[in-house]
Amino acid sequence: MNAIEQIINWMPALVRASGWTLALTVTSVFAALAISIFLALGKISHKPYLKYPSSAYVFFFRGTPLLMQLFFIYYALPNLVPAFTIKSRFMAAFIAFSLNVAAYLAEIIRAAIESIDKGQMEASRTLGLSYVQAMRLVIIPQAYRRMIPPICNEFIMVLKDTSLVSIIAVTDLTFQTKMIASNKASQLVYIPSMIIYLIMTGFFTIIFNKLEKKFAIYD
Amino acid sequence: MSLIRTVEISKTFGANEVMRKVSMTAEQGEVIAVIGPSGAGKSTLLRALCGLETITDGEIYIDDELLEKRSEGREVEKINSERRKEMLLRLGMVFQRFNLFPHKTARENIMLAPINVKKMSTKEAEAKANALLDRVGLSDKADEYPSRLSGGQQQRVAIARALAMEPEVMLFDEPTSALDPELVGEVLTVMSDLAKSGTSMIVVTHEMGFAREAANKVIFMCDGELAEEAPPSEFFSNPKNPRARQFLRSIL
Repeated sequence: MNAIEQIINWMPALVRASGWTLALTVTSVFAALAISIFLALGKISHKPYLKYPSSAYVFFFRGTPLLMQLFFIYYALPNLVPAFTIKSRFMAAFIAFSLNVAAYLAEIIRAAIESIDKGQMEASRTLGLSYVQAMRLVIIPQAYRRMIPPICNEFIMVLKDTSLVSIIAVTDLTFQTKMIASNKASQLVYIPSMIIYLIMTGFFTIIFNKLEKKFAIYD
Repeated sequence: MSLIRTVEISKTFGANEVMRKVSMTAEQGEVIAVIGPSGAGKSTLLRALCGLETITDGEIYIDDELLEKRSEGREVEKINSERRKEMLLRLGMVFQRFNLFPHKTARENIMLAPINVKKMSTKEAEAKANALLDRVGLSDKADEYPSRLSGGQQQRVAIARALAMEPEVMLFDEPTSALDPELVGEVLTVMSDLAKSGTSMIVVTHEMGFAREAANKVIFMCDGELAEEAPPSEFFSNPKNPRARQFLRSIL
């Protein structure tokens, strides 16, 4: 069997595994986005009961290795607190990634919001908008555009970092690649796998570039 | 009844006293020019009135109703925050750097607050915005984003935006200081028209021509204090305060 035939034979398994990689990336980034908006607004807030817990959260999840967070949630937590037993490996990976990525996204969102000129909030307030209205109608819409490039970056990092879940045997692209490499004793499989990763990251880079242009209409 | 009255208001940042015991009043229909050297506390006064800066001491009244009363930074009298918000809506503010919302067109900039604060219908707000754009001579720029407008045009939109909330008094914080010299005139024209139509205004400005012609009262501030208050004819021809005399000599 020549190399091309081999690769074609592996393809269905690799593509199926890529589905898990994509599913984990997209779901956890979306969940992380939802969490991170609250974290970012908490960090910006002057109220200590919002500010300090948000800062502590970011400090913890950025300051410890993602792999260890994954191990903790999947292996350690069920032993320490049986109520938190997570049977599904995918679910454990999803939770670990969402919590971890939220910390990074929170910093991106916070920085984008704080980069908006203070005069915008002042003008909003003197027009009678509440703080929440000013954030929602004036500040955050302007911050969107500045968030998109770093969020794109983060998304692609996450897509690649999901390869870590192969260690708890989630059947993602990396796991599947390793399986084929050891079972079939062929190291060739790494090449199509990496190409699939490139296609995925390339695809999302294009999508995010389009998004960035869409938000650039006003300048 | 005074539109605005302050009683010995002061503002300190740490050991730095930027405004000291300023007492002033603004009556209905009055146009007040606040002038003085930079760092005199003029902007601080305006920002204190419209709630962007919290005073450390003194009292502020809007329509003879207490807006704020503080002593050594502490609130002496607690004002209901809804009530406070309502009172602050009677003041419109125009900034040195325009502060238009860059993601909204000129018309949308004007419509935003009436729709979201006054709960006006979109249709009504749009009609209002169009009328105001016409008033500041920018009907043809309604659909432009601020980045496509000149500084003078942006400031005129900002004036229209503040007017859309129908304030009782308009506050201008050096509205022409960030403009190229050839654009100052168009903004001053809009402001003079406003003054002629009876709008009450407090204008922090370095434009002495405007102060002389459009204002009925000049307030001269220096080192955080209100040093002199006089009608413009009197102030410009015969200033009593020595620092005012020196200031006028240095700029005229």
